[in-house]
Amino acid sequence: MKKLYVMFTAFIATSLLAGCVSLNSVSLTQLPENRERMVTASASDILFLGFTTQNDFVNEAVENLKSKCRGGSLTGILTKHQTTSYVLVFKREVIATGYCNTKEG
Amino acid sequence: MLRAFAVSLILICAGCARLDHVQISDIDQSQGRLKPISVQISNTGFNAAETVAIAGELAQSSSAKENLGDLAALLALINMGPTTGNPVYNDRYAENILQQLYQQCSTGKITAMRNVREALSYGPVSGEIVRIDADCIL
Repeated sequence: MKKLYVMFTAFIATSLLAGCVSLNSVSLTQLPENRERMVTASASDILFLGFTTQNDFVNEAVENLKSKCRGGSLTGILTKHQTTSYVLVFKREVIATGYCNTKEG
Repeated sequence: MLRAFAVSLILICAGCARLDHVQISDIDQSQGRLKPISVQISNTGFNAAETVAIAGELAQSSSAKENLGDLAALLALINMGPTTGNPVYNDRYAENILQQLYQQCSTGKITAMRNVREALSYGPVSGEIVRIDADCIL
C-alpha cells in the first residue's frame, strides 16, 4: 500500500512539474518612437537529458527575425532565452520580439 | 557500479554544449548589403571540486575515498556562490573582443550583434566561450 502511495505521488509530481519553464536570460534594446509593426521570431531545440553539442538554434532565431523585416530596421528587440523541462526532455528556446520600421513607413 | 556510472557520465558529457545567455541587438537592414562576421573567445574553466569528487569515487581505499570526499566538499564550499559556468583563471579573456570584431568590418558599421555566452563541457573541464556574431554593413 505504501509503495502505491509513493508511486502515485511520484506520478502526480512528474505530471505537475512537466512543462515547467525557467527563464535563462532577457535583454531589451532601445525602443523606437514608431511601434506600429511588431514582429516576433523564435527558434528552439529539443534535448534528451540535456545533452547537446551545439547552440545553432540561436542563429536560426535571428535569421527568422531578419526575414520578417526585409530592408527595414528592427529596434526595441526583446530577447528571451528560456528552457522548458519535460520528463527527461528539455526544450531550449530563444524568442525575439521587435519593432520593424521601413523607409516607406 | 558507482564507478562505472561516474566514468560513463563523464564520457557522455564529453563535449556537451551549454548556453547561458543570448542577447540580440538592433538589426538594420536598410543601409546596404550585410556581411556576417563573428568573433569567438574562450578560456579554460576548471571545476576543482568535481575533479576531486570523481577522484574520490575512483579511489580504491575507503580512507582515500573519505579524504577526497572531504576535500571535494571543502572546495565546493570555497567556490560557493552564483556563477556562470566553471571558474576561469583569467578574468580579462574577453576584453579585446570589440577590436577583433572591428578588424573584420572595414566600414566600421556593425549591426545585428548577437552576444552569446556558452560553453563546451568536458566533465570538470570546460571551454568557457564568449561569442559575438554580427553583420557588417558594406
